[in-house]
Amino acid sequence: MKQVGIPHGLFYYYYYPLWKTFFTDLGANVISSSTSNRLTLDQGIKLAVDETCLPIKIYFGHVQELCQQHLDYIFIPRLVSVEPKSYICPKFMGIPDMIRAAFDNLPLLIDITIDVSKSDRSLKRDIMRVGSLFTKDNSRIKQAYTHACQENRFCHLLAREGYTLAEAISLWEGQQVQNPASGDLNIGVLGHGYSLYDSYISLNLIERLRKMGCNVFLPESLDTGCIEQQAATVPKRVFWTLGRKMVGSALYMDKRPDIDGIIYLACFGCGPDSLIGEIIDNKVKNKSFMMLTIDEHSGEGGLVTRLEAFCDMLRRRRMRGEGNLPAYG
Amino acid sequence: MHYYLGVDIGSVSSNFVLMDQYGIIREKVYLRTLGNPVKAIKEGFAQIKSRQGEQLDIQGVGTTGSGRHLADVLLGADVVKNEITAHAVAASALFPGVRTIIEIGGQDSKIIILKNGIVQDFAMNTVCAAGTGSFLDQQAARLSIAIEDFGDYAVRSRQGIRIAGRCGVFAESDMIHKQQMGYPAEDIIMGLCEALVRNYLNNVAKGKKIEEPIVFQGGVAANAGIKKAFEKVLNSQVQVPEPYEVMGAIGAAMLAQEEREQSQAPGNYRGDDFIMEGEFKSSSHECKGCPNLCEVVCIKRNQEILAYWGDRCKKWENSINRQDKLQVI
Repeated sequence: MKQVGIPHGLFYYYYYPLWKTFFTDLGANVISSSTSNRLTLDQGIKLAVDETCLPIKIYFGHVQELCQQHLDYIFIPRLVSVEPKSYICPKFMGIPDMIRAAFDNLPLLIDITIDVSKSDRSLKRDIMRVGSLFTKDNSRIKQAYTHACQENRFCHLLAREGYTLAEAISLWEGQQVQNPASGDLNIGVLGHGYSLYDSYISLNLIERLRKMGCNVFLPESLDTGCIEQQAATVPKRVFWTLGRKMVGSALYMDKRPDIDGIIYLACFGCGPDSLIGEIIDNKVKNKSFMMLTIDEHSGEGGLVTRLEAFCDMLRRRRMRGEGNLPAYG
Repeated sequence: MHYYLGVDIGSVSSNFVLMDQYGIIREKVYLRTLGNPVKAIKEGFAQIKSRQGEQLDIQGVGTTGSGRHLADVLLGADVVKNEITAHAVAASALFPGVRTIIEIGGQDSKIIILKNGIVQDFAMNTVCAAGTGSFLDQQAARLSIAIEDFGDYAVRSRQGIRIAGRCGVFAESDMIHKQQMGYPAEDIIMGLCEALVRNYLNNVAKGKKIEEPIVFQGGVAANAGIKKAFEKVLNSQVQVPEPYEVMGAIGAAMLAQEEREQSQAPGNYRGDDFIMEGEFKSSSHECKGCPNLCEVVCIKRNQEILAYWGDRCKKWENSINRQDKLQVI
C-alpha cells in the first residue's frame, strides 16, 4: 500500500476530508502530521524563508515531521484559485518550490496545480494525472473525486452548526468533540482558517473565548449567500477568496442584532490581512471591533489581557444599559 | 474603618494603593519590579503595613497588570482584572466625563475611548514595544541621565531635533547620529519625546478620534516632555492625574470594593501573615507530556505548592485549582 503524507497546515483545515477521501479511495494510506506544537514551530522557523508568515513557517515544520516517516508521496498542492475570478494568497503559489528548495530528504512531491479562476478543465486533467499514480482505472479516479467532494461538503455542513473546521474534521474522522457551553456574549471571530483553527498559532483563541463565557460565531457558520451579498457592497471586489469571506462575514455580523462584538485575528506579516483588516475596521460601524496580531509569541499574557478587556467592555456596557453599575464604571 | 488593597504588577513597576471604604486613597507605593515580582509584592505590602502602623482590616483585594495572577496567588484577590478596565475605572472616577485615556507603561501603551463613563473602544500596541517606558529607560541609561530627570531635560529644550520614530532601533541609531553631530542633549531628548508621540498616534491611536478631556497616565506620564509633545501635536490640553503612576492599582482597588459590596461570600484575602511570614519560591520545569514542551512555573510558599502556570493544556494549572478550591471551602 502506498503511503501519502498530508501536512497538517494551511488549507488542510478547508480540504483535508477531500484530499484524504480521494487518496484513500484510490487505495493509498494517508498519514497527516500531528497538530502544530513547539517542535513544528521551531523546525519551521529554521527551515522557512524569514519573510513568510507564521502559518507558512509552521507548514514547513509539518513537512519536516512527515519527511521522517517512510512515505511514497507527500501532497503539497499548488493552490492558485479555488473559485472563479478569485485567488489565494500568492505565497501559496510558491509553496511547492519553497519546499523543494528547503528540503533535501523529500519523498516524491504531488504538487498538483489547483487553479479554477478561469475554468476547471486543467484541474480535471491534473486530477486524472494524480490518480494515475495509484490506479489505471479512470472511472475509479472519477468516482473517488466525486466521493471526496461529497465528504468535504459534509464536513462543511458540520461547520455550519458552529463547530470550528478543526472540530468538524475531528467529528468527520469519528472522534468525540465536546459541545461548547453557551455563554452570555456573542462574539464573531474572523481570520484565516489556518491561523484561527490551529490552536497553537491562535494561542487557543476560540477555546479561550468560550471559557470566558462567549458564544463564538465563525464565518463557516454563516449563510454563504449573505456573506457574498455583503461582500459585494465594497466598492472594489475583493479578489482573495478568504479575504472576501472575511469582509462579507464582518459586514453581515455588523448588521446582525444578536452579535455583540467582532474580533479579527491577523498574522504579523500577512499581506492580505494588512488590507482586509483595515477595510473591516473602517466598515464595521455598529459593533465593537478588535484586531489581534500574532506572531511566534508563546507568552499568552498580551492576548489574554486584550480578550478580557474586550469582554469586560461589552459586559460593563450592557450592565450600564441595565442601570445596575456604580457611577464610576 | 476598613480598607481595599489595589495591586498593579507591571513589567517595570509594581504599584500598591490602600483605599478606605469612602474611596479615599490612604497610601500609595511605587516600586520597580526589577524582574522579581514576588519580592516586589512582599516589599510593597510591607511598606504599606509599616506606614499605617496599625492592624489593617482589609476587606478586599484587586489585582491588575501582567503579574495580576501572581499577585492573586500571593494575596488572595477578589478581583483579578485586565489593565484596560482598571485604568478606565480609575480615570473616570478621578475625572468624570473623561473621553480619552492615554496610558503608557513599561511594555504597553494603550488608548481608551470612553463615552458616558463606559469604555467604547480601546487599542493596545501590537507585537512591538517600541515607544514605551522601557525604551525611554534604556535611552536614559545610555545618556547617563536619571529617568526621573529625563522630562526636565526635554522641557528645557527650545527646539526638538527630528528623530526617526517608526522603530526603537531606528530611533536609537538616529539619536546616536545626531549626538555625534553635536546637537545638545536637551534637544535630542525632546526630539525623542516627539518621535514617541508621533509613533503612538500613528500606531496605537490610529483611526481613533481623540477628544477632550484627555487624561495621560501610566509611568511615562512622569515625563513632562511627552506631555508637552502630546499637547503640541493634539493641540489640546492633556491632564495628568496626581497619582498618575498608580492609576491601575486605584482601579483595581475600586473594582475590589465594587465586587465585595455586591457579594455576600467572604473575601478571598489570605491575611497579612500569609504574605509576610511565608517564604515564596518559584521554580520551573519542562513538561514532557507532549511535544509542546511547555515551561511550567511552580509557585511555592514554604513547602506548599500554591500555583502552576505556563502549560498550554492546563494539566498542571488545573491540578492545583481543585485542591485550592477545597481549601477555601
